Amino acid sequence: MIAYFIRRLVGTIPVILMISLLVFLLLHAAPGDPAEMLAGDQASEADILEARARWGLDQPVLVQYWRFLINALSFDFGRSFRYDESVMGLIAERFPASLELAIFATLLAIAIGVPLGVWAGSKPNSWVDHVGSIGGFFGISMPNFWLGIMLVLLLAGSLNILPSSGRHTFGVPDDPITGFLLIDSILGLNWESFKDAMIYLIMPAFVLGINMTGILMRVTRSSMLETLSEDFIMTARAKGLDERSVIWRHGFRNALILVITVVGLEFGALLSGSIIVETIFSWPGIGNLLLQGLTARDYPLITGVVIVYTSLFVVVNLIVDICYAAADPRIRLAK
Amino acid sequence: MAKNSAARRKTFLAALATAALTAGIGEAVAQTKTRVSIGVTETIASHNLYADSVSLMYAVFCQSYGCMFDRDYAAGIYVSRIVDKWEVKDPTTWVFNLKRGVKRSNGEEVTAADILHSINRAKNDAQSRQKHNVRYIASAEAPDPYTVVMKTTEPLATLLDFLRQLIITSKAQHDALGENADREAPLGFGPYRIRQLSVDNFVALEKVAGHNEVKPENPDEVIFRIQKEAESRVTALLNGEIQIAQFIPPQLVGRVEAAKNVKLVWEGSTEIMFLAMSPKQKPWDKKEARQALAYAIDRDAIIKAILRGQAERLDGPIGPGQYAYDPNLAPKYTYDPKKARELLAKAGYPDGVEIDFYTPVARYIADKQIAEAMLPMLEASGFKVTLKTPEWGTLWSNVQKGGVPFYYMGRGTVIDPSAALSQYFETGGSPRIGYSNPEVDKLLQAERQEFNEPKRIELLRQSMALITDEAPAHFMWRHKLAWGIAQNVDYKPLATTDILAVDIKMIPRQRAR
Repeated sequence: MIAYFIRRLVGTIPVILMISLLVFLLLHAAPGDPAEMLAGDQASEADILEARARWGLDQPVLVQYWRFLINALSFDFGRSFRYDESVMGLIAERFPASLELAIFATLLAIAIGVPLGVWAGSKPNSWVDHVGSIGGFFGISMPNFWLGIMLVLLLAGSLNILPSSGRHTFGVPDDPITGFLLIDSILGLNWESFKDAMIYLIMPAFVLGINMTGILMRVTRSSMLETLSEDFIMTARAKGLDERSVIWRHGFRNALILVITVVGLEFGALLSGSIIVETIFSWPGIGNLLLQGLTARDYPLITGVVIVYTSLFVVVNLIVDICYAAADPRIRLAK
Repeated sequence: MAKNSAARRKTFLAALATAALTAGIGEAVAQTKTRVSIGVTETIASHNLYADSVSLMYAVFCQSYGCMFDRDYAAGIYVSRIVDKWEVKDPTTWVFNLKRGVKRSNGEEVTAADILHSINRAKNDAQSRQKHNVRYIASAEAPDPYTVVMKTTEPLATLLDFLRQLIITSKAQHDALGENADREAPLGFGPYRIRQLSVDNFVALEKVAGHNEVKPENPDEVIFRIQKEAESRVTALLNGEIQIAQFIPPQLVGRVEAAKNVKLVWEGSTEIMFLAMSPKQKPWDKKEARQALAYAIDRDAIIKAILRGQAERLDGPIGPGQYAYDPNLAPKYTYDPKKARELLAKAGYPDGVEIDFYTPVARYIADKQIAEAMLPMLEASGFKVTLKTPEWGTLWSNVQKGGVPFYYMGRGTVIDPSAALSQYFETGGSPRIGYSNPEVDKLLQAERQEFNEPKRIELLRQSMALITDEAPAHFMWRHKLAWGIAQNVDYKPLATTDILAVDIKMIPRQRAR
């Protein structure tokens, strides 16, 4: 098992290297100059040239990349052009907000999508299946920028039951420990802060997770359909097991592998794909940070965020593999 | 069992509803202080006071740390919290006498050493994006703690306009805390102090008790919430999460107007919108072609149809309220497609000419829609147009290099137009338009060096008349900006779009949320 982990982790190094090189080259090939973008519209030519020299942009691209790489070995992605702070510091500051949002969105998606899929898969062609399928397609096809704005108008506007944007109410006492507001409020037994964080989280998490909910519903349904037609399910029923045990203990457990795969892949996508949702809801996360970086052509920030995203994706997939073994004892990771 | 789970569900829903209702009443929770939250579109990029240069940042820092000068836009004069009087000793030497006893919130007095320190930081801080504010200061000295002598690189009548954005920070704090001074010791002599700054998220200010500029009706706390999405901003205003919403776009004005708990307030802007034509590229090398374009566009129709009346047409680079505005400035371009075709023929294009037209998208109010509305007008006058809408970073970079022949853009915060005119139309200014005319250069240099105000105004007017006639840019309009304001708040926005907390007043008997 340990050897497997080490092998997988070592295997990610060339992936990260390739991605960092690709991002670096593409960024430099793209039109737009960070010095011009950030110096402002009143800056002189001399100011722009000075900024370019200060950030090392007057050096050949490969020299810039080599410097970046050497520093990145010690997890130093440089200093953000736009924010004048270390990229790692910025990522560490904003990452908990994005991770909390992605985790909550995933939990919502699992809580809605999986039971709906199991229900629809266990009663094919019934009204439940039809309603579930329509719901699944709705989730998959719904553009989240549109749904986000519609929900803001409805829940924050017309009904006025949820806040329109932000992460917490200014002035509600918080106990910053980990940066995850829900966890911090639990650790500090601060229920006012917990409630506050929760109500700000609901709408963006639902919007972020709606697509995953639809996919999970469809995948769970088809996986259940396939599993429930297997011989061992007939055997279980012949043994006189009640339907709930047949579906959940035998059917669902065997359908789980595919669901875990989708959850893993989608979770990675949620983490890196929250830019639109974070913008709509003014969520101070890493997606918003990346957007600001892209607009300003902040090379160190963009490269740093992309490398972090890549690493996370790898880690999530590793966790998925571990979950496979837990879900299906026949799978041995070391082999 | 089923009964139990139903009960649990009910309890959960009740808890959720309670939580949601609590959110609905927003920031009013257990609060005794008055608070006004403002939804703004700009952000502050850094704790380093000199590492950014946007209008929200200057407004926040000038009312907390304090700036060397402020502009009283209504009165048309410069005012200062720290400068008692100033004198132009000779055309390149200015002497500023500081007020005595101006103290920061920790009791530290503001002295000449702080002014020199601030100039040095704006000029030499490794991350400074405010070098342009001190570009013309060749040297600064402090013969005593209350006197600053500045030498400029050339005679410069507009020095105060640059010093308007010089943020004054404490030398003593910087000496003690180094780079961390801005973050750890946000001490200033303004009427409000920074309580918390969360970059890209919010800035919280609190009233400095006993400050001579604050009044009891000013809110105790002012929170600037960064909300770039207009729908969110308007929704937050209508449901009471915020009390002031900046820049309501034309399509959302109706929603705000229809709401009972808020009012809509209009204010002009100091940002001038224009079409730039680079004389370095054909057909814009011909004055007649540039003038043809000016006659080809029906600005009034665009203001009425696209901007729903929310703009003020410009007949020249600036409008009423801006320094040296001349209501009689000529020529005036009226919509005249026939004349446009004649001029284009005179420029050597009797059968029309192909042009590329660049516009940003969602950078300015209805920018792309405005550009699209211009297309049939330009076509009718003989311009065969290809509309190009590159992403902002790409467009701006190319504009900065002078590589874009014809584009729609704005220049913000034009109070005294000297710097903007020099930047865009003086030889050796920015290459954004690439216009060069010795006569314009002479006038602009002369106005900068003219300390007699009536004479300077006349020189500025002559330069603007010449630029308007030469038409390297066709000046379009200044947007009228719509602000949404809660009924329990009294606030009159400024044309500069700066939001000053001392201008905000709570209407009695209704507490801010």
